[in-house]
Amino acid sequence: MRLSQSRRALRAKAVALETVILFWAGGVLFAIAADSVEEIREVAGLQKLSLGVAHQKFAKVTHTLASDGQNHFVVDACAHFGMRSGQGSRLMVLRHAAAAVMVDAVDRMQDIHSIQALPVAFRGVERSWYRGLTIVKGKVVPLVRPEAFLTRAEASLLQAALRAGETTARSVAVTA
Amino acid sequence: MTYQMTTRQTFVLFPIGEKRFAVPADQVNELAPHQKFDQQEQQRFPHTTPLLTGVVVRRNQIVPVADVAPVLIGPQVPARRFYLIVTLNMEGDANRMAIPVSGECQLADAEQLPLTGKLPPYVSGLLSIHDEIIEVLNLDLLMSAEVHA
Repeated sequence: MRLSQSRRALRAKAVALETVILFWAGGVLFAIAADSVEEIREVAGLQKLSLGVAHQKFAKVTHTLASDGQNHFVVDACAHFGMRSGQGSRLMVLRHAAAAVMVDAVDRMQDIHSIQALPVAFRGVERSWYRGLTIVKGKVVPLVRPEAFLTRAEASLLQAALRAGETTARSVAVTA
Repeated sequence: MTYQMTTRQTFVLFPIGEKRFAVPADQVNELAPHQKFDQQEQQRFPHTTPLLTGVVVRRNQIVPVADVAPVLIGPQVPARRFYLIVTLNMEGDANRMAIPVSGECQLADAEQLPLTGKLPPYVSGLLSIHDEIIEVLNLDLLMSAEVHA
Protein backbone atom coordinates (compact mmCIF):
# COMPACT_ATOMS: atom_id res chain seq x y z
CA MET A 1 0.00 0.00 0.00
CA ARG A 2 2.69 2.42 0.99
CA LEU A 3 4.75 1.53 -2.05
CA SER A 4 1.89 2.26 -4.44
CA GLN A 5 1.24 5.57 -2.71
CA SER A 6 4.83 6.66 -3.06
CA ARG A 7 4.84 5.64 -6.74
CA ARG A 8 1.72 7.70 -7.25
CA ALA A 9 3.41 10.59 -5.50
CA LEU A 10 6.43 10.25 -7.75
CA ARG A 11 4.23 10.18 -10.86
CA ALA A 12 2.41 13.27 -9.63
CA LYS A 13 5.74 15.00 -9.12
CA ALA A 14 6.80 14.29 -12.69
CA VAL A 15 3.64 15.87 -14.10
CA ALA A 16 4.32 19.35 -15.38
CA LEU A 17 2.82 22.19 -13.40
CA GLU A 18 2.30 24.22 -16.54
CA THR A 19 3.74 24.89 -19.95
CA VAL A 20 5.53 28.17 -20.53
CA ILE A 21 7.06 29.99 -23.46
CA LEU A 22 10.65 31.05 -22.83
CA PHE A 23 11.62 34.32 -24.46
CA TRP A 24 14.59 36.70 -24.44
CA ALA A 25 14.45 40.44 -23.84
CA GLY A 26 17.49 42.61 -23.14
CA GLY A 27 19.70 39.54 -22.67
CA VAL A 28 17.45 38.09 -19.95
CA LEU A 29 15.47 34.87 -20.29
CA PHE A 30 11.84 35.15 -19.16
CA ALA A 31 8.92 32.74 -19.07
CA ILE A 32 5.24 33.40 -19.77
CA ALA A 33 2.35 30.96 -19.42
CA ALA A 34 1.81 29.40 -22.84
CA ASP A 35 -1.97 29.63 -22.53
CA SER A 36 -1.76 33.41 -22.17
CA VAL A 37 -0.23 33.78 -25.64
CA GLU A 38 -2.59 33.76 -28.62
CA GLU A 39 0.00 34.00 -31.36
CA ILE A 40 3.70 34.49 -31.98
CA ARG A 41 4.46 36.46 -35.12
CA GLU A 42 7.01 38.61 -36.85
CA VAL A 43 7.06 42.37 -36.35
CA ALA A 44 5.87 43.24 -39.87
CA GLY A 45 2.72 45.33 -40.31
CA LEU A 46 3.03 47.47 -37.21
CA GLN A 47 1.80 51.06 -37.03
CA LYS A 48 4.07 53.48 -35.18
CA LEU A 49 2.33 54.98 -32.16
CA SER A 50 3.23 58.49 -31.04
CA LEU A 51 1.18 59.93 -28.24
CA GLY A 52 3.40 62.92 -27.47
CA VAL A 53 4.96 64.12 -24.25
CA ALA A 54 1.63 64.16 -22.42
CA HIS A 55 1.68 60.36 -22.35
CA GLN A 56 5.27 59.69 -21.28
CA LYS A 57 4.16 56.89 -18.97
CA PHE A 58 3.11 54.96 -22.05
CA ALA A 59 6.57 55.21 -23.63
CA LYS A 60 6.79 51.41 -23.47
CA VAL A 61 3.87 51.20 -25.92
CA THR A 62 5.59 51.80 -29.24
CA HIS A 63 3.25 50.52 -31.96
CA THR A 64 -0.22 49.23 -32.68
CA LEU A 65 -1.05 46.01 -34.46
CA ALA A 66 -4.30 45.37 -36.27
CA SER A 67 -4.98 41.67 -36.22
CA ASP A 68 -8.25 39.80 -36.85
CA GLY A 69 -10.24 43.02 -36.63
CA GLN A 70 -8.77 43.83 -33.23
CA ASN A 71 -6.30 46.55 -32.32
CA HIS A 72 -3.40 45.50 -30.07
CA PHE A 73 -1.03 47.87 -28.34
CA VAL A 74 2.56 46.71 -28.77
CA VAL A 75 4.56 46.85 -25.54
CA ASP A 76 8.35 46.83 -25.81
CA ALA A 77 9.36 44.19 -23.23
CA CYS A 78 12.74 45.86 -22.62
CA ALA A 79 11.11 49.23 -21.89
CA HIS A 80 8.53 47.53 -19.66
CA PHE A 81 11.28 45.98 -17.52
CA GLY A 82 13.40 49.16 -17.55
CA MET A 83 16.15 47.63 -19.67
CA ARG A 84 18.01 49.03 -22.62
CA SER A 85 16.10 48.44 -25.84
CA GLY A 86 16.68 45.13 -27.53
CA GLN A 87 16.29 43.92 -31.09
CA GLY A 88 12.51 43.46 -31.03
CA SER A 89 12.27 40.69 -33.60
CA ARG A 90 9.17 38.80 -32.41
CA LEU A 91 5.70 39.66 -31.19
CA MET A 92 3.75 37.65 -28.65
CA VAL A 93 0.10 38.57 -29.08
CA LEU A 94 -1.56 38.09 -25.69
CA ARG A 95 -4.83 36.25 -25.26
CA HIS A 96 -7.74 38.10 -23.59
CA ALA A 97 -5.79 41.36 -23.66
CA ALA A 98 -5.34 44.33 -25.95
CA ALA A 99 -1.58 43.91 -25.85
CA ALA A 100 1.17 42.30 -27.87
CA VAL A 101 4.67 42.09 -26.42
CA MET A 102 7.74 42.82 -28.54
CA VAL A 103 10.63 40.57 -27.51
CA ASP A 104 14.12 39.92 -28.84
CA ALA A 105 13.58 36.22 -29.49
CA VAL A 106 11.29 33.36 -28.59
CA ASP A 107 13.40 30.48 -27.28
CA ARG A 108 11.09 27.48 -26.90
CA MET A 109 8.14 25.98 -25.07
CA GLN A 110 9.00 24.28 -21.82
CA ASP A 111 7.16 22.31 -19.13
CA ILE A 112 7.92 23.60 -15.67
CA HIS A 113 7.50 21.59 -12.50
CA SER A 114 7.66 24.23 -9.79
CA ILE A 115 7.18 27.93 -9.24
CA GLN A 116 8.84 29.62 -6.29
CA ALA A 117 7.27 32.80 -4.98
CA LEU A 118 9.33 35.91 -5.60
CA PRO A 119 11.35 36.30 -2.36
CA VAL A 120 9.81 38.99 -0.15
CA ALA A 121 13.13 40.84 -0.21
CA PHE A 122 12.08 42.01 -3.67
CA ARG A 123 9.85 44.93 -2.78
CA GLY A 124 9.69 47.06 -5.92
CA VAL A 125 7.47 47.14 -8.97
CA GLU A 126 8.84 43.68 -9.84
CA ARG A 127 6.22 42.25 -7.48
CA SER A 128 3.63 43.15 -10.11
CA TRP A 129 5.82 42.07 -13.03
CA TYR A 130 6.42 38.48 -11.88
CA ARG A 131 4.19 35.62 -10.73
CA GLY A 132 7.26 33.95 -9.32
CA LEU A 133 10.53 32.32 -10.30
CA THR A 134 11.18 28.96 -11.83
CA ILE A 135 14.36 27.01 -12.52
CA VAL A 136 14.98 25.74 -16.04
CA LYS A 137 18.13 23.64 -16.47
CA GLY A 138 19.75 25.30 -13.46
CA LYS A 139 18.87 28.80 -14.60
CA VAL A 140 16.54 31.01 -12.58
CA VAL A 141 13.83 32.35 -14.88
CA PRO A 142 11.27 34.98 -13.85
CA LEU A 143 7.72 33.98 -14.74
CA VAL A 144 5.99 37.14 -15.94
CA ARG A 145 2.43 38.24 -15.27
CA PRO A 146 0.88 38.80 -18.73
CA GLU A 147 -1.62 41.33 -17.39
CA ALA A 148 1.22 43.54 -16.08
CA PHE A 149 2.41 44.42 -19.59
CA LEU A 150 -0.70 46.53 -20.13
CA THR A 151 -3.48 46.72 -17.58
CA ARG A 152 -7.12 47.14 -18.65
CA ALA A 153 -7.03 50.69 -17.27
CA GLU A 154 -3.92 51.52 -19.30
CA ALA A 155 -5.48 50.04 -22.43
CA SER A 156 -8.62 52.15 -21.89
CA LEU A 157 -6.52 55.30 -21.46
CA LEU A 158 -4.59 54.52 -24.62
CA GLN A 159 -7.81 53.92 -26.58
CA ALA A 160 -9.13 57.26 -25.32
CA ALA A 161 -5.87 59.03 -26.24
CA LEU A 162 -6.00 57.51 -29.71
CA ARG A 163 -9.64 58.55 -30.20
CA ALA A 164 -8.81 62.09 -29.03
CA GLY A 165 -5.90 62.19 -31.49
CA GLU A 166 -8.16 61.07 -34.36
CA THR A 167 -10.77 63.70 -33.45
CA THR A 168 -8.11 66.43 -33.40
CA ALA A 169 -6.71 65.29 -36.72
CA ARG A 170 -10.22 65.31 -38.26
CA SER A 171 -10.99 68.80 -36.94
CA VAL A 172 -7.65 70.08 -38.23
CA ALA A 173 -8.48 68.62 -41.66
CA VAL A 174 -11.94 70.24 -41.66
CA THR A 175 -10.51 73.63 -40.60
CA ALA A 176 -7.82 73.43 -43.27
CA MET B 1 26.14 32.32 46.20
CA THR B 2 25.87 35.16 43.65
CA TYR B 3 25.41 34.89 39.93
CA GLN B 4 26.91 37.40 37.56
CA MET B 5 24.61 38.46 34.73
CA THR B 6 26.34 37.84 31.44
CA THR B 7 25.29 38.97 27.98
CA ARG B 8 27.92 36.99 26.10
CA GLN B 9 26.67 35.83 22.72
CA THR B 10 28.13 34.06 19.75
CA PHE B 11 28.69 36.21 16.68
CA VAL B 12 29.89 35.58 13.16
CA LEU B 13 32.56 38.09 12.18
CA PHE B 14 32.97 38.74 8.48
CA PRO B 15 35.21 41.07 6.47
CA ILE B 16 34.11 43.51 3.83
CA GLY B 17 37.23 45.14 2.47
CA GLU B 18 39.52 46.15 5.33
CA LYS B 19 36.74 46.30 7.90
CA ARG B 20 35.05 43.52 9.87
CA PHE B 21 31.41 43.41 10.88
CA ALA B 22 29.41 41.03 13.06
CA VAL B 23 25.98 39.43 13.08
CA PRO B 24 24.49 37.14 15.74
CA ALA B 25 25.48 33.56 14.90
CA ASP B 26 21.90 32.30 15.16
CA GLN B 27 21.06 34.36 12.06
CA VAL B 28 23.70 32.63 9.94
CA ASN B 29 22.91 29.44 7.99
CA GLU B 30 26.10 28.85 6.06
CA LEU B 31 29.13 30.37 4.41
CA ALA B 32 29.25 29.42 0.76
CA PRO B 33 32.21 30.06 -1.53
CA HIS B 34 31.53 31.60 -4.89
CA GLN B 35 34.33 31.24 -7.38
CA LYS B 36 32.13 32.53 -10.14
CA PHE B 37 30.85 35.62 -8.37
CA ASP B 38 29.21 38.11 -10.71
CA GLN B 39 29.84 35.87 -13.70
CA GLN B 40 27.69 32.77 -13.78
CA GLU B 41 26.61 31.75 -10.33
CA GLN B 42 24.70 34.88 -9.41
CA GLN B 43 21.75 35.24 -11.72
CA ARG B 44 20.17 38.56 -12.50
CA PHE B 45 16.81 39.73 -13.78
CA PRO B 46 15.18 43.17 -13.86
CA HIS B 47 13.94 44.59 -10.56
CA THR B 48 13.93 47.90 -8.70
CA THR B 49 14.78 46.93 -5.11
CA PRO B 50 17.83 48.73 -3.72
CA LEU B 51 20.81 46.58 -2.58
CA LEU B 52 19.57 43.39 -4.27
CA THR B 53 21.86 42.37 -7.12
CA GLY B 54 20.44 39.00 -8.14
CA VAL B 55 19.75 35.53 -6.84
CA VAL B 56 21.69 32.34 -6.20
CA VAL B 57 20.35 28.82 -5.96
CA ARG B 58 21.24 27.10 -2.68
CA ARG B 59 19.86 23.66 -1.80
CA ASN B 60 17.20 23.99 -4.49
CA GLN B 61 15.99 27.28 -3.07
CA ILE B 62 16.29 30.64 -4.80
CA VAL B 63 18.03 33.03 -2.42
CA PRO B 64 18.23 36.77 -3.11
CA VAL B 65 21.68 38.36 -3.00
CA ALA B 66 21.98 41.63 -1.06
CA ASP B 67 25.17 43.55 -1.67
CA VAL B 68 25.38 45.65 1.48
CA ALA B 69 29.05 46.60 0.97
CA PRO B 70 28.42 50.01 -0.66
CA VAL B 71 26.27 51.00 2.33
CA LEU B 72 28.82 49.76 4.87
CA ILE B 73 32.13 50.87 3.37
CA GLY B 74 31.28 53.15 0.45
CA PRO B 75 31.61 52.78 -3.30
CA GLN B 76 35.15 51.32 -3.38
CA VAL B 77 34.05 47.73 -2.92
CA PRO B 78 36.67 44.96 -3.13
CA ALA B 79 36.06 41.56 -4.72
CA ARG B 80 33.96 39.21 -2.63
CA ARG B 81 34.79 35.55 -2.23
CA PHE B 82 31.96 34.11 -0.15
CA TYR B 83 28.26 34.37 0.41
CA LEU B 84 27.15 34.58 4.01
CA ILE B 85 23.72 32.97 3.95
CA VAL B 86 21.59 34.49 6.70
CA THR B 87 17.99 34.28 7.82
CA LEU B 88 16.12 37.54 8.13
CA ASN B 89 12.71 38.19 9.56
CA MET B 90 10.85 39.92 6.76
CA GLU B 91 7.12 40.57 6.88
CA GLY B 92 6.81 38.14 9.77
CA ASP B 93 8.47 35.26 7.93
CA ALA B 94 11.98 33.87 8.05
CA ASN B 95 13.66 34.48 4.71
CA ARG B 96 17.12 33.56 3.57
CA MET B 97 19.45 36.11 2.06
CA ALA B 98 22.95 35.82 0.60
CA ILE B 99 25.41 38.56 1.53
CA PRO B 100 28.67 38.71 -0.44
CA VAL B 101 31.69 39.07 1.90
CA SER B 102 35.39 39.53 1.17
CA GLY B 103 36.97 36.68 3.11
CA GLU B 104 36.67 33.91 5.64
CA CYS B 105 34.37 34.36 8.60
CA GLN B 106 35.14 33.75 12.24
CA LEU B 107 33.02 32.72 15.21
CA ALA B 108 33.49 34.76 18.36
CA ASP B 109 31.96 34.67 21.82
CA ALA B 110 31.75 38.23 22.98
CA GLU B 111 29.79 40.62 25.08
CA GLN B 112 27.87 43.18 23.10
CA LEU B 113 28.76 46.69 24.24
CA PRO B 114 26.24 49.52 24.21
CA LEU B 115 26.34 51.95 21.34
CA THR B 116 28.55 54.99 21.74
CA GLY B 117 28.74 58.01 19.51
CA LYS B 118 26.73 58.56 16.39
CA LEU B 119 26.33 55.35 14.44
CA PRO B 120 24.01 54.41 11.59
CA PRO B 121 20.60 53.04 12.66
CA TYR B 122 21.44 49.53 11.41
CA VAL B 123 24.30 49.16 13.94
CA SER B 124 22.77 47.46 16.98
CA GLY B 125 25.87 47.21 19.16
CA LEU B 126 29.64 47.00 19.31
CA LEU B 127 32.11 44.23 20.07
CA SER B 128 35.59 44.73 21.39
CA ILE B 129 37.81 41.89 20.24
CA HIS B 130 41.62 42.12 20.54
CA ASP B 131 41.57 45.90 20.48
CA GLU B 132 39.35 45.92 17.42
CA ILE B 133 35.92 47.54 17.67
CA ILE B 134 33.47 45.68 15.47
CA GLU B 135 29.98 46.91 14.58
CA VAL B 136 27.14 44.42 15.11
CA LEU B 137 24.67 44.76 12.25
CA ASN B 138 20.91 44.60 12.41
CA LEU B 139 20.47 43.11 8.96
CA ASP B 140 16.67 43.39 9.03
CA LEU B 141 17.04 47.13 9.49
CA LEU B 142 19.89 47.37 7.00
CA MET B 143 17.66 45.80 4.37
CA SER B 144 14.60 47.84 5.22
CA ALA B 145 13.41 50.51 2.85
CA GLU B 146 13.45 53.23 5.51
CA VAL B 147 17.25 53.15 5.80
CA HIS B 148 17.69 53.85 2.11
CA ALA B 149 14.79 56.23 1.68
